Amino acid sequence: MPSTLEKIKILGTNSKYDICASTASSRTRKYPKLFRNSKDWIGATETAGICHSYTPDGRCMSLFKTLYTNKCIYDCKYCFSNNCKRRVSFTPEEYARTIMKLYSMNVVEGIFISSGVCGSADATTEEMLEAVKLLRFKYHFQGYIHFKCLPGVSQYLIKEAIPLSDRISINSEASTKDYLSEIAEQKDFKNDIETRQRWIKKLRIRHNEEALEELKDLKADKDIELQKKMINGRREDGYKKYRWDGAPILNGGQTTQFVVGAAENETDLDLLKRIDWQYRNLDLRRAYFSSFIPIKGTPFANKKRAPLEREHQLYQSDWLLRIYQYKLEDLKEIINGNGNLPKGDPKVHFARHYFKDHNLIDPNEAPYKELLRVPGIGPISAKRIINLRTKKFKFKCREDLKAVGVVLKRADPFLSINGQNQATITSFV
Amino acid sequence: MKKKKKLQDPLKVLGRARGYSRKELIQNLPRHKNFTPDLIDKLKKLPEVVLRNSGTPLAKKLIKMMKELNTEAYRAKQFTRTELNDRGVLYGIVLLKHKVMDIVLNYFHMRWPQCLICLYNEDTHKTSVMNEKGVIWESELAFREVIKKISKKRKIMPYFKEIQFSGDKIFETLYKSQYIEERDNPNFFEQMIPKHCYKLPGMRDGVEKRFNYQIKKLDDF
Repeated sequence: MPSTLEKIKILGTNSKYDICASTASSRTRKYPKLFRNSKDWIGATETAGICHSYTPDGRCMSLFKTLYTNKCIYDCKYCFSNNCKRRVSFTPEEYARTIMKLYSMNVVEGIFISSGVCGSADATTEEMLEAVKLLRFKYHFQGYIHFKCLPGVSQYLIKEAIPLSDRISINSEASTKDYLSEIAEQKDFKNDIETRQRWIKKLRIRHNEEALEELKDLKADKDIELQKKMINGRREDGYKKYRWDGAPILNGGQTTQFVVGAAENETDLDLLKRIDWQYRNLDLRRAYFSSFIPIKGTPFANKKRAPLEREHQLYQSDWLLRIYQYKLEDLKEIINGNGNLPKGDPKVHFARHYFKDHNLIDPNEAPYKELLRVPGIGPISAKRIINLRTKKFKFKCREDLKAVGVVLKRADPFLSINGQNQATITSFV
Repeated sequence: MKKKKKLQDPLKVLGRARGYSRKELIQNLPRHKNFTPDLIDKLKKLPEVVLRNSGTPLAKKLIKMMKELNTEAYRAKQFTRTELNDRGVLYGIVLLKHKVMDIVLNYFHMRWPQCLICLYNEDTHKTSVMNEKGVIWESELAFREVIKKISKKRKIMPYFKEIQFSGDKIFETLYKSQYIEERDNPNFFEQMIPKHCYKLPGMRDGVEKRFNYQIKKLDDF
């Protein structure tokens, strides 16, 4: 019988390629019936998530991130579990106790619970849920929980998991059915993944509407109508929902993860199209990308490793779609003939392309959307510029922009302040 | 009579503008170890715009002082390692040069509201305790004695008793299991845990230091 330490070693190694950056959840305790609102609760979720440690590659390591079991009926060609000879599982009590110990040591913020599919997805999820329930109801743990849905899991189990978790996710792995069958033959893209993502969306909305109704009876909350609107509402532009959409539960929303570069001909455009669609139709909060690393002993051991730079560029593009209100069509303009993003920052590439045909931007006149197209101006500095303009403040020189947080060395070539702009070498020739 | 329009500071409307408001500075600067009362008088004379944008050397200095306070409190929240006994006393050691103990205590209190939080400050050699109601007091007794004394009066809590085992090995194993060799990035790692953080009590013998062999002192060569 393996010890807990051995299990952590094996199951932690098996899950190290899973990605979960955030530990923050804007969930508050004011909601009734949230984990039965025990008086003896332990733990908190911070809006700014604290990282207690970092791995030598600089990644934040603030969640207890292991598989629940590495026994798996699937044989995904890229997966680490393929290579693992020892098959182990936690018991719910062992899992819960270990987390509580680590939480009391102030080394973790919460958990990321994922698993191989042992027997059936339902049986494994039931065990995972048992561990989560122990944490929530026996130890009264109110910290962060990221619950990974297994492909093919039943709806009633997702329904059980939603009120217990801060974030729920299901791995898409690839952008299309064909690419998925190339790397994980046994998984059904439509049924095992997409249908489950739709369920999560529906269940979450329904659950939050019901919770707000309960709140209405118990507590006169002025913002309740606003919150209700926010559950279903969207911003006028961009895909990102309101950061805090009034959801008392599952505040981190649903996320997904892609393995970049495992499928032979999968391009950046394929991935961007997929996340664009998921943001629009599945209420996806964000997508994670994990560049493919060949692992010895797996069928893909001899495959070429995907460059980390590609993963980084995909994140940058994802940011542009979600937060900077770019459209997929905008990004398509900079994508090269192979369907991949060019090397370097996609925003700079787009700005170079965009400002060939458009005038340089005057911060005293440009609308919010245009300001966001300038490298060195982010959503916060763009908002500051707009706010200042509403107070009839005029930007007279570059230093005024610097004061509101614009990165001038990046923004200068695209700005024109009161008709003055940075000269180019060609203007002297 | 026409009402005179109040001249608003244009940067006041920004919400998340850079820097700190005057109110924040007046409230928090006394926590800094180098604080002198005349700083407040000088600060009151500075316009808010200047304060928010580090407009003068003095404003720059004040903002730097605020940042030092915030960083110290944040690092303590990040890297303080605590222990919990079966009677619900959570204790640990911190190294706080500024007066931010209440912020750190409050952070742990939010997480363990039914526990007594007990932190020993290596800088002042005092132990600060926060009770369930959020009341703070200080003791000059030896750290272990304080823990013994306050634990005596409390009942054994059943589910705290269940987690009375050593977690150091568990964390070390978890930490090592997450390492991906192909992604090794020492510069980024150092950015995240700067070298001076290894002087903090929780990190002195931290697994991060032991595992990251790249961090070497001159003596190591």
